[in-house]
Amino acid sequence: MRYSKSILKSIFLSGIIFWLVIFSEDFNADMLFWVFLSIIPISLCCSFTIFTTIAPWFILNSGMKPREVYVKYFAYYAILCFALCFYGVWKSNFSIYAISFFASAFITTMQTWNWLVIDNPKDSKS
Amino acid sequence: MKNIILLFGAILFSTLFYKQDIGLNMSLFSIVTIIILSIFNTKTFKSKSTIALTTTYLITAIAIFFYNSSLSIIANCFAFFTLVGHVSQRNSSIYINWLNGLFTFVAGFFLRALLKSESNKESKNKTQIDYIHLIKIIGIPLAVIIVFILLYKNGNPVFNDMISKIDFSFINLQWLLLTVLGYFLFYNISKPIQVNPATELDLNTSNTLEKNNKFSINTLKKENQLGLILITLLNILIIVFLITDITYLTTSNDIIAANLSNQVHNGINALIVSIVIAIIIILYFFRGNLNFYKQNNKLKIATYCWIILNTILVVNIVIKDSQYIYYYGFTYKRIGVLVYLLLALIGLFTTALKVFKIKNLWFLFRVNSLTAYALLIISCSVNWDNLITNYNLYHAKSNDFEYLISLSNNNTFLLKAYSQKNQLSTKNQFLVDKKHNDFVEKLNSNTWQEMQFDNFNIEQYK
Repeated sequence: MRYSKSILKSIFLSGIIFWLVIFSEDFNADMLFWVFLSIIPISLCCSFTIFTTIAPWFILNSGMKPREVYVKYFAYYAILCFALCFYGVWKSNFSIYAISFFASAFITTMQTWNWLVIDNPKDSKS
Repeated sequence: MKNIILLFGAILFSTLFYKQDIGLNMSLFSIVTIIILSIFNTKTFKSKSTIALTTTYLITAIAIFFYNSSLSIIANCFAFFTLVGHVSQRNSSIYINWLNGLFTFVAGFFLRALLKSESNKESKNKTQIDYIHLIKIIGIPLAVIIVFILLYKNGNPVFNDMISKIDFSFINLQWLLLTVLGYFLFYNISKPIQVNPATELDLNTSNTLEKNNKFSINTLKKENQLGLILITLLNILIIVFLITDITYLTTSNDIIAANLSNQVHNGINALIVSIVIAIIIILYFFRGNLNFYKQNNKLKIATYCWIILNTILVVNIVIKDSQYIYYYGFTYKRIGVLVYLLLALIGLFTTALKVFKIKNLWFLFRVNSLTAYALLIISCSVNWDNLITNYNLYHAKSNDFEYLISLSNNNTFLLKAYSQKNQLSTKNQFLVDKKHNDFVEKLNSNTWQEMQFDNFNIEQYK
């Protein structure tokens, strides 16, 4: 339940960041169609990233409280994620599309870690 | 109040970096960072170590303004992470400072948001932000100031002229997003955080090796014998190598470029492997209780001998590299070799110190990483392109002119001055003029954020 809730929130967040950055460079009304269409790939990307890179930390350490998992692994995940995103932006020669993609990916993954801990009933009892 | 400081910093951030190249803006950003860090962490900034690291950060910021080189930018980033990490935990090792600094810079906001939400959950009495008061303290002074500006505008033509020159057209969505990024960044570093398992582990690990009570004298005796035989044989081998090498160097009269180049590069490769293996072997034998074994004197002497012989090997390579530089001039690779040799010397010295004072592996990591950091800061404060050009043009026996032209703009004025005093080939003269004109054009097109020291020198070389 908490994963599906977090995924929904992350789709919303990444969609907003992605299009906000692109609209800061260029905006016209024709793009709105693409905004709606982009929900599909954004949903796929978010679900795939969360299930393959974030959820395993919590699933594999199910004996630990989510907050403990967060404290133990989040820092390294954040640093690695930042390094990969910065590398992607740098390799694209700071193109606006790469910036929007990697900025939304970075911020969304970071916030998803927080949601997975905050929304967890195991932790709220403690 | 602290939010207003962060907001001011964020606006300054986007003013400095929005559609700008690196230059004065990076130096000013470093100063703003120090101010914000010191406002939010007043206590930490009273310690000598923090002041020392702040000074290194300032040195790199000044180096960017003077040279605008990649090395100074890299050193500035390292100094930034070191300082931020140090503010988060003063007693940790420098590599933990880098980790903490990077984590704070990247994700401080998210960790603090989590902690905040948890504390809100626990206390359940959220402190309400007084938005009305916030609007009052920002809105009322702003409105009054605008009214007075409009009044003064009509009363004074000079003031009117000054006000009409203020242009806010640069503010757009992208500029605002950059401001948000600036706020995020300054919010992150205002209260540095720690990577906790790593920081705690580092704080609990001392530099001294502890004696383990679970050992047998027989095993130690065998290990001591093995170490002694191995290191003695390695000593003999390195002596033979050094004798043959020194004989070759002193007896060969003609130095051919290809030979010398081959020798230096092969020598360096051999040296890299030999020093790494030497340190690994020493660390292996002196990893535990052999340090406390009473009959380890011979092994220790053999180890010191080996370290000294490796040092001679380093000196030998330095001589070869210096000869090479004397005949064919400086290049970044040749300077890199000298830097590597200096690091190797320091590494050998700290390894000897580890054996002598019975220290552990962490001691080596701590001292060596600190030395590498110090060397990075020192090397970023040197104008390498200018130094290479000056040496190659006026002191080396021969030089590769096209290599000098391929260097960064830091040697442009020097090359121009040289071309005015000396006769160059048509091609080289063209290349120097082109480089000079391009650089002058770039300097002239620099905005105040992109300015560098050469902007003030430009008139002198026109």
